[in-house]
Amino acid sequence: MSKQTKIPQEELPEVYIDDILMSIKYFTDEQEFHLAIKDTDTCVRCVDKPCINFCPVGAYRLQEGGTVQIAVQSCIECGTCRVLCPPNNVSWKYPRGGFGVAYKFG
Amino acid sequence: MSSKKIQFDVIVVGAGLAGSTAAAVAARNGLNTAVIERGQQPGGKNFFGGAVYTHALQEIYPDLWDRNPPLERPVTETGFWFMSKDGMVKATVQGGKLNNDPIDAYVALRARFDSWWADQAKSEGAFIIPKTLVEEFIYQDGKVVGVKTDRPQGDVYAPVVIICEGVNNLLTQKLGLIDHDIRPAATALGVKQLISLPAETINARLGLPSNEHGLAISVMGDVSMGMAGLGFLYTAEKAISLGVGVTLEALRKSGVKPYELLQRYLNHPAVAPLIEGGQLMEYGAHLIPEGGWKEMPRLYTDGVMVAGDAATMVNALHWEGTNMAIIAGQQAGLTAVEAHRQGDFSSKTLSAYQAGLKERFVMKDLYQYRNLSRFLDSHPEFMDIYPTFLNDALGMFFSGFGKPKKRLYKDILRTLTSRRPLLKVVGDLVSFGRTIIGI
Repeated sequence: MSKQTKIPQEELPEVYIDDILMSIKYFTDEQEFHLAIKDTDTCVRCVDKPCINFCPVGAYRLQEGGTVQIAVQSCIECGTCRVLCPPNNVSWKYPRGGFGVAYKFG
Repeated sequence: MSSKKIQFDVIVVGAGLAGSTAAAVAARNGLNTAVIERGQQPGGKNFFGGAVYTHALQEIYPDLWDRNPPLERPVTETGFWFMSKDGMVKATVQGGKLNNDPIDAYVALRARFDSWWADQAKSEGAFIIPKTLVEEFIYQDGKVVGVKTDRPQGDVYAPVVIICEGVNNLLTQKLGLIDHDIRPAATALGVKQLISLPAETINARLGLPSNEHGLAISVMGDVSMGMAGLGFLYTAEKAISLGVGVTLEALRKSGVKPYELLQRYLNHPAVAPLIEGGQLMEYGAHLIPEGGWKEMPRLYTDGVMVAGDAATMVNALHWEGTNMAIIAGQQAGLTAVEAHRQGDFSSKTLSAYQAGLKERFVMKDLYQYRNLSRFLDSHPEFMDIYPTFLNDALGMFFSGFGKPKKRLYKDILRTLTSRRPLLKVVGDLVSFGRTIIGI
């Protein structure tokens, strides 16, 4: 098993993810969200909330009161949250056909 | 409303490299073939480093070069860069055994490449059905006889379904071909920036004689901050692709934001000058099923075969995966053709798919490297101590300190032994060797 420990934030540069996300093309589904938090209280009780960090597009955002909100429109459907959410509290499915991320280059 | 049943000979789920290959081979041999793709167009959901391999492309299309494949640069220089916090040891090869005709590997961009690859399947007679998500299977007498899609009246029937759904293998799991979800220790998250630069600038900065030369580099060491993982650099024609992949397990424990890990790599003193003045063309991320052999689902059951990332067909050390997907797709397509010839779609007939792959590098390599993913996960030394030691040792060797050389060698050795006892070093190297050789 990995002996990995937490890495101090000071060792990393600060990045404004929203600037980077502008390089990604999406076909946003205005009618249906393909991701959802199953139970908001579970997030409040989750101490680490690793989703705030591990999501590669920073779609998981901490709200006042300790709840977590998902910016579904920035999701690139990688599946990290589906696999890593410790209390398995993300309802995850693919967007409807034709919607979601549409890489221009890949 | 018409309730006419939509029937094909073969359904392929996903128009990636495995899917479009399976479809091309099936259609070429006379089968009525549908490829169902959830993206706007094939390739739109796909993201990699990365390179494709001419041996695989030419095996499917011997007239490859007449088809104008959208390839970027041939890989004429490749190897490892060993990164310390502020240094880099570069061990690359160019020319020599790489001077093959054609060159073995080409850098590609998946959105363009996969779209073209699907067009080739179309030219063989396959139907590509984009913007359509496969949600469920249709069963008859307990056997798969088709798929349900998210389109109205979206049921599609075929006696054999080839699943090429990618790393998030939800359909494969639904069928019970594997009894667990992909595991964090055996799956990596890769993040990448594609940075645009004039071709001449890329050539000048990376020492490439022309646009017909390109680089494919694996970066080991400080790039992953001690996490099990690697960095990479590939040259497209007018862009450089830089990324990092680390296991989900290490990522979660580290608390690091993937895009900050990537930015840290881009800020490294040996990397930043390469991309200075470049424009971000695209950022993205994708999971990589690095577990290989040990995480592989069952590859077939009655009426179903699984290929590509969905079947963890990735060689994490050599960054091979696109070639495995293509050869697996081919084998699955051929097996579907044989099943139709026999009129038997049972797992007994479809077992020829796995038997065929066992004769090829696909299963042979995955078996040989079956312990690699676990080895790297349990040996962080290879991601941090050893690359840093290489930097220190070479740096000291080539510095004139005005000290006797005997003392220099002692100092060099001490930079290693202060971090890891010599006996452990020997043990690490031996077990690394055994892991690679596969014993």
